[in-house]
Amino acid sequence: MQGLLDFAEGPLFRLTFFIMVLGFARVFILAIWGAVDAYRKAGDKTIAWGTATRKTIGWLVPIRSVFTHKPFYSMFSILLHIGLILVPILLLAHVRLWETALGFGWLTLPKTWADLLTLATIVAGVAIIIGRIASSNLRFLSRKQDYLWPLLLIIPFVTGYICSNTAVTPATYQILMLMHVLSSELIFVLIPFTKIAHCVIMPLSQFIMLIAWRFPAHVDDDVCTTLNKKGMQI
Amino acid sequence: MDRARIFKSILWAITGLGSAALATRFLIGLGAIANMNDAVPWGLWKGFNIFPGIALAGGGFVMTAIIYIMAREEYHKYAKISVLLAFLGYLTAATALVTELGLPWLVWHPIIFWQHHSPLFEVSWCVMLYLTVLFLEFIPVPLEETSRFAKIRIFLTKYKIVLVFLGIMISTLHQSSLGSMWLITPEKLHPLWYTSLLPILFFLSAVAIGPIMLILAILVITRIYRRRTDSQTLSKLGLLSVFGVLVYGLVRLIDIGVKGKFAMIFDGSWQSTFFLVEISLMVVIPLVLMGVRRLRNSSGSLWVASLSAVIGLGFDRANIAGIMLSVDGPMYTPTLFEVLVSLAIISAAILAFLFGIERFKIWDTKWEDPREKPESHPDFDRSAEVWLGTPRLAGRSVYSLIFVVSLAVGFAIIPGKRIYSDGVQEVVSQKAYGGDTLCIDGNRDNYGVTFDHKAHVVRNSNDSSCVLCHHMNQPNDKQSGCYSCHRDMYQTTDAFRHDWHADPANANIGCMECHAIDQERLATTAKACDQCHKDLIPPGATITIEKYMAPSYTDAMHFLCIDCHRQKAEELTDKPDLALCTTCHRWKHPNHLQDEVAEKYNHPYFNHVVLPQKGSKEKGH
Repeated sequence: MQGLLDFAEGPLFRLTFFIMVLGFARVFILAIWGAVDAYRKAGDKTIAWGTATRKTIGWLVPIRSVFTHKPFYSMFSILLHIGLILVPILLLAHVRLWETALGFGWLTLPKTWADLLTLATIVAGVAIIIGRIASSNLRFLSRKQDYLWPLLLIIPFVTGYICSNTAVTPATYQILMLMHVLSSELIFVLIPFTKIAHCVIMPLSQFIMLIAWRFPAHVDDDVCTTLNKKGMQI
Repeated sequence: MDRARIFKSILWAITGLGSAALATRFLIGLGAIANMNDAVPWGLWKGFNIFPGIALAGGGFVMTAIIYIMAREEYHKYAKISVLLAFLGYLTAATALVTELGLPWLVWHPIIFWQHHSPLFEVSWCVMLYLTVLFLEFIPVPLEETSRFAKIRIFLTKYKIVLVFLGIMISTLHQSSLGSMWLITPEKLHPLWYTSLLPILFFLSAVAIGPIMLILAILVITRIYRRRTDSQTLSKLGLLSVFGVLVYGLVRLIDIGVKGKFAMIFDGSWQSTFFLVEISLMVVIPLVLMGVRRLRNSSGSLWVASLSAVIGLGFDRANIAGIMLSVDGPMYTPTLFEVLVSLAIISAAILAFLFGIERFKIWDTKWEDPREKPESHPDFDRSAEVWLGTPRLAGRSVYSLIFVVSLAVGFAIIPGKRIYSDGVQEVVSQKAYGGDTLCIDGNRDNYGVTFDHKAHVVRNSNDSSCVLCHHMNQPNDKQSGCYSCHRDMYQTTDAFRHDWHADPANANIGCMECHAIDQERLATTAKACDQCHKDLIPPGATITIEKYMAPSYTDAMHFLCIDCHRQKAEELTDKPDLALCTTCHRWKHPNHLQDEVAEKYNHPYFNHVVLPQKGSKEKGH
């Protein structure tokens, strides 16, 4: 068991972590490259920089949706995102591991905060799955992976919480830790190739999409006019 | 999938695997991936990349000489490709050299700091100059793609002949001085390879095999892109280079004969076998297959001949720069990662070469892929019904995926032990042997310190003196020996062993036994060791433990002895030399005693052996 854990924490971690980081870089570069190609081929090269930037920033801070439609779903979604980003990066135990490997660490969450956020993430993950099943609209839009992703994402949170807050025997601890590490590594590998890649390329993809939609600038207004929906949101 | 895509995918995978090792080399150091040692500081990269790389890139100056100076127009269509080949060949050699040397930001030093006695000084200048010349010779080709820099392009094309002359001069100089470099190794290099004619042989072989390398490159690319080969011109070029091969072979064999070493070729040693293999690959096979008219005209024999000549030349350089050098010291075998770096540099160069072929007007007409045209039908992946995009677009995403995954695999297969090692070998310290007089020789190299244990006990008021040195009782032990915690001769070791305590197979202690439930699990917040191990610290111990990280055995001994000796040297005015090294390190076992110690060391009761006294006068008391 210890050998398996050592393998999961050593070579397997390096493999999956590098696939994630380099995969991000790859997706990022390909996206920019594609955009530049499209720009070079385009006849009319006016770009709606202002609108696109403003809307992208709006998408990055999705607070507005809490007050407009689906307040609970949006709230849980935001909570899940905060937990997913902050806890793995700022947890003291993780930063200590980076410190031994890299020689430097960074600021960490206090234990109570980390525990609360972990619990909140687990609750939010479960709530989102329930929300998807409960709403007929969402059920229609959801694919299999949309249900599986929140499930997979909360496995490391559940196992990590049990390991760090309960008095389990060393044998159970090892099994839980192995699950923790392996599920995280599965997430690492899948991230750059699935929809979760949005955690890094979201601003860029959103920006490119917004530009493409207005390419050349103000083409969206023309479409709206054609559809007799001028001034309306489509 | 088409042939070119499979070929390029493999190259990208190799490049990715090797790039991980390459990055590790520059981030962490040579020791993390390479096996080179002080006895063999010239490893695989010298023998496999640098020397063969530069020799095979000799085609550049030979071909430009043939085309522009001998004015053989029929080879004109190969001018650009031979320059590109040479340029990339030199780049691989330069990359391999920088990888091996490290400190790439000091690469300009030979320009400023002249060492005019060294052939390598000349080589480095020549390689830098020739790389510049090759760059200037080739740069008009990519510049044709754009309307900018037209003046530069026209200028460079107009004065090409100057560059050609410069190229020939510089190449002649450094191809031969790479051979001159080995003139300092008459004792090291095997006599079948060592000769005072090495500079001439290096030059001749580069001239002869350079064009053959070009033939091989053209055969390879026409095959993977499924283009037609102009075999008539190629076989003419083959015939031309056969003369070079003949001259080289004659000079080499006559030189061996004149120096009286002819018998060594057939003496049956492995060196002679290597020599025979080398000569057949490099001289005999090309001579037969390219020299005989009927054979020369078939493309199969052109393939075999050029491949054999190129491998032969590489083998010759590898023999001189590595295999045939006698080694005094530990043997060198390259690691997997050295091999990967070697292959990655070559693969990257081939990829750059293919890129040049596909994108620029290397031939008289540019090679166009019909599928790139806007009117061609879209290319579907039949299994997934996904549009792959134009070949260029599909290639971009496929190759980058292969590269990324293989790079990650490359990082994963480098053993963590190598990455995190600080270069110090683990040397387990062993128990001091003896009784009242101890022989402290932790690494058993028979060079230790005789320590009069009993005299120290008596001198420091008997029973109460133990705790002056023995500051820890390990579980089920009293006044544990130094070696039981200071377990390595030169490195700090973990005396606590957290994972051992938490391992179900060992101590099997749960987290909460030591850590509090509401606190971060840190060493600082954990329960102190002596709360469980009640008698861990003997009462009155003078050395306090803070971190349970035991300094190396050597350091522990030195700190303990020297501190006290220094203090005593000041207190006892009659012993001013007490703190000197020689007070303790005063002997090396004489041979007969070494044998005796070795014999007793193998005895089951070696711990109880009292070594003979070295004479009371050495003790000082």
